[in-house]
Amino acid sequence: MKRKSGIEVGAALDLVGGVLKWMAPAFLLPTLVAIGYGENVWWAFVLAGVITGVAGYALDQITGDKEGAAVTPRESFLVVALLWLLIPIFGCLPYILAGGPQLSRPIDAYFEAVSGFTATGATLVPTIEDLDRSMLFWRQLSHWLGGMGIIVLAVAILPRLRIGGRQLLQSELAGPTEIEKLGQTIRETARRLWRLYVILTLIAILVLGFLGVSGIDDEMTFFDAVGHALSVVALGGFSTRTISVAAFSPVTQYVLLVFMIIAGINFLRLYRVLVQRRFDVLARDEELRLYLILILLGSILIGVEVIGGGYESGEAGVRHSLFQATAILTTTGFATADYAQWGPIATVTLLLLMFSGASAGSTGGGIKIIRHLLLFKLVRRELEQTVHREAIVPIRANNRVVDEKALRSLIVFVLLYLLVFAIGSLGLVIDSGRAGEGLSAFEAFGAAAACLGNVGPAFGFAGPYGSFEPFSDLSTLICTVLMWLGRVEIIPVVVILTRAYWRS
Amino acid sequence: MRIVVLGAGHVGRAIVDALYEEHEITVIDTNADRLTWLADRYDVRIVEGNGTTKRVIREAGIQNCSLFIASTSREEANLVSAMLVKKLSGARVIVRTTSVEYLDAWREREIDVDFMVSSELETANAISGLIGIPAARQTDVFADGKVQVVEFDVPDGAGGNGVVGRKLRDAELPVDSKVVSIIRGDERIMPDGGQRVLAGDRIVVIGSPDAARQWSRVISHERQRVDDIVIFGGGRMGTTIAHVLLDRGIRVRFVEGRLERAREVAEEIPEARVFNASAFDSEFFERERIGHTTAAVFALNDDPGNLFSAVLAKSKGVQLTIALAHDQTSLHVYERGGVDVAINPRQVIAEELVRFGHDPRIRQIAMLDDDRFEILDLTVRAESELAGMRFDQMPETGSVIGAIIRNGDAIIPHSKDILRAGDRVIVFVESRRASTVERIL
Repeated sequence: MKRKSGIEVGAALDLVGGVLKWMAPAFLLPTLVAIGYGENVWWAFVLAGVITGVAGYALDQITGDKEGAAVTPRESFLVVALLWLLIPIFGCLPYILAGGPQLSRPIDAYFEAVSGFTATGATLVPTIEDLDRSMLFWRQLSHWLGGMGIIVLAVAILPRLRIGGRQLLQSELAGPTEIEKLGQTIRETARRLWRLYVILTLIAILVLGFLGVSGIDDEMTFFDAVGHALSVVALGGFSTRTISVAAFSPVTQYVLLVFMIIAGINFLRLYRVLVQRRFDVLARDEELRLYLILILLGSILIGVEVIGGGYESGEAGVRHSLFQATAILTTTGFATADYAQWGPIATVTLLLLMFSGASAGSTGGGIKIIRHLLLFKLVRRELEQTVHREAIVPIRANNRVVDEKALRSLIVFVLLYLLVFAIGSLGLVIDSGRAGEGLSAFEAFGAAAACLGNVGPAFGFAGPYGSFEPFSDLSTLICTVLMWLGRVEIIPVVVILTRAYWRS
Repeated sequence: MRIVVLGAGHVGRAIVDALYEEHEITVIDTNADRLTWLADRYDVRIVEGNGTTKRVIREAGIQNCSLFIASTSREEANLVSAMLVKKLSGARVIVRTTSVEYLDAWREREIDVDFMVSSELETANAISGLIGIPAARQTDVFADGKVQVVEFDVPDGAGGNGVVGRKLRDAELPVDSKVVSIIRGDERIMPDGGQRVLAGDRIVVIGSPDAARQWSRVISHERQRVDDIVIFGGGRMGTTIAHVLLDRGIRVRFVEGRLERAREVAEEIPEARVFNASAFDSEFFERERIGHTTAAVFALNDDPGNLFSAVLAKSKGVQLTIALAHDQTSLHVYERGGVDVAINPRQVIAEELVRFGHDPRIRQIAMLDDDRFEILDLTVRAESELAGMRFDQMPETGSVIGAIIRNGDAIIPHSKDILRAGDRVIVFVESRRASTVERIL
């Protein structure tokens, strides 16, 4: 503790403790659900909440003398990496404490919680409906809490983040471009984002609930409506049904499709459009254009095979192609059909879409559209400069010049992303050979890409109707680490592993 | 008329030189040497001191003066001084600025001075006239560039192109343009459809920028139109020129030696291609085929550099070289060196500062042909007797309404069009009738 270090570990832990304290009350909601449905696991949530609260309070106290110590950009790497490791540790407590037949093993529980909070949506539960309602609700809620980010909420409410909040929000939202403030301060920006997130969720609950109540969709109960609303706005992917969204009517599927597309847009832009009614912002947005083009292109590629190959026909073919392309690209991971059964064109397209990701500043994961866009522009510039050696060509996104430093770190990010993907898939096939899971090469790629991109379901047994349950413990762990790395966008983890980071 | 000039630098000197014979001039400057230099050569009164203070301005006799020209290179000083003069006296105030932003603020009437000129913009416009319209003798731009008034010399031997020698009503004139005056020897003709444009005439045309460009092609078919230009030096002058040229659809390339500045220029002007290279690098010229361009502007910081680079460009095949000169001697050196056109921005702005308006409604006045003609830019009042009248029914007033700006669009009126109250009109008029026209509209 007394050793001279370049990092204010105390300040970082202090902040982590503060966030955990705020997470504790969230356990109240599933407690109420358990009591409401007369399930006797309610105590598991209460206990988990108490443990989380005490842990948070303790962290706060131990490092309490650091009050006022600011979280600088350097500490924010540590904070981000730690938060996404620690939150699921407390988040998985109810699964373990309840001691049900599924998820009670710590490694399984942790996988499910990481998948929840990172809004991935990969599950270890083969038959979802076997879980208690309150557990199901907790899974969906963990998506929602992790989606827009407890971090955004923390910036919005924690007074000590008046200084370091900008870096945190930047790492959480903005991708490679500078964050644009929505209000006077970064705090106000975070508040408005959070408000938008809550309102979108409420609208989703109302619309889905209405579909159920009005009899348009008999399958959609109010519980399902809430569960899917929490999941779709966070671009998570957990469902309250084993066969995911396929359990519901086509109308519901279209509604969820629309919500996925909306939630995949940069929330900073979305706020300008929906609240400030600046429709021109969207019309001129390059990222949005590419986002929609990719969805359409993916759908067409898939549709050609799905319809032409006789997997589905007519409206259903169009719907499934559109829905699946969107669900995978936005890294949601819902399914209206078992796409793992489709032909090679569709499955390869889906695998590639896992690398796209939604827009920066959305709740989705993956590489993100803006990075692809900038990468494309970088390539174009390189080609141009081989002809015109002395030409100076700044790269712009939405008519704003992107900093060269940001471009360099973008390249590093994409390379690291591919490297992690390579190591992850290699790890999975090697371990599969050892454990005898019979994972094909394609399925290994799929599982690694789906976890790293926070998509969720992959192919083979880990497909949309299946689960990651057949994986060995080691493979489960590999997947967990991939999800974590994907959520924090790799760089913070790599940075805190360097020696330079800890030196003053 | 009593005139007070702030600043005894190059611009101040040029103003004094143009005005001292007919007017009583007082010059204010902080530098005693420059003042004595002026007083030795011209019959002017000098006041040494800081022109942004009330005391010095009073000492210069501002109460009895009718024109104040702030001409220093420090634009903030010019503005402060102008504001004080506005408060202290009823003199007309003209301010020199280098900033296009101030100029815009003045146009939007947020800076309360009577006239504001930017040397960068004036120079850029002059160059654009030379490049976009190669045959043009003089170009004036109205209504933010939507309307141009251009003077052409019709070359001897021109003809057979559907215009020269034909009656105007039968000629294939570029659309959106109008011939407002034909000057043939000592004769000045306000043309109607029965007149002809002949070789050797000087004509004045009003029209859209496109039409003006077409005119230059119609008139001087032997010269190629410039649609691609290289600017050497990415300073403020260079970027202003680039903006003006890009607005007229000319492709612009920049050569800037300092990496930092090159980057700034590339960020500021996305439409231009920017090279970080030396203006003296022969290999670079070859690689980027600089010689294939029809015109190049040299706006480097030093005149010897401009000369070297221009001569190099000329040797590589550039047809038209235009170099900026920072002092008068350079003009002659450039000429000896083979530079096609030399422009001294200080001279340009001095000329501009010497002009000034009479009617507050007039936004811009161009004086053509030794002040015998004027171009007025006015807004038609509601009570004007011409409002609501068809053009072919208007009385003879020795003037031509060359263009109307209505709802932001420029219209070149024909006989069946109707003039409306609130229209902004560009009027070509004989100087002696200018006041009549101002009264009627």
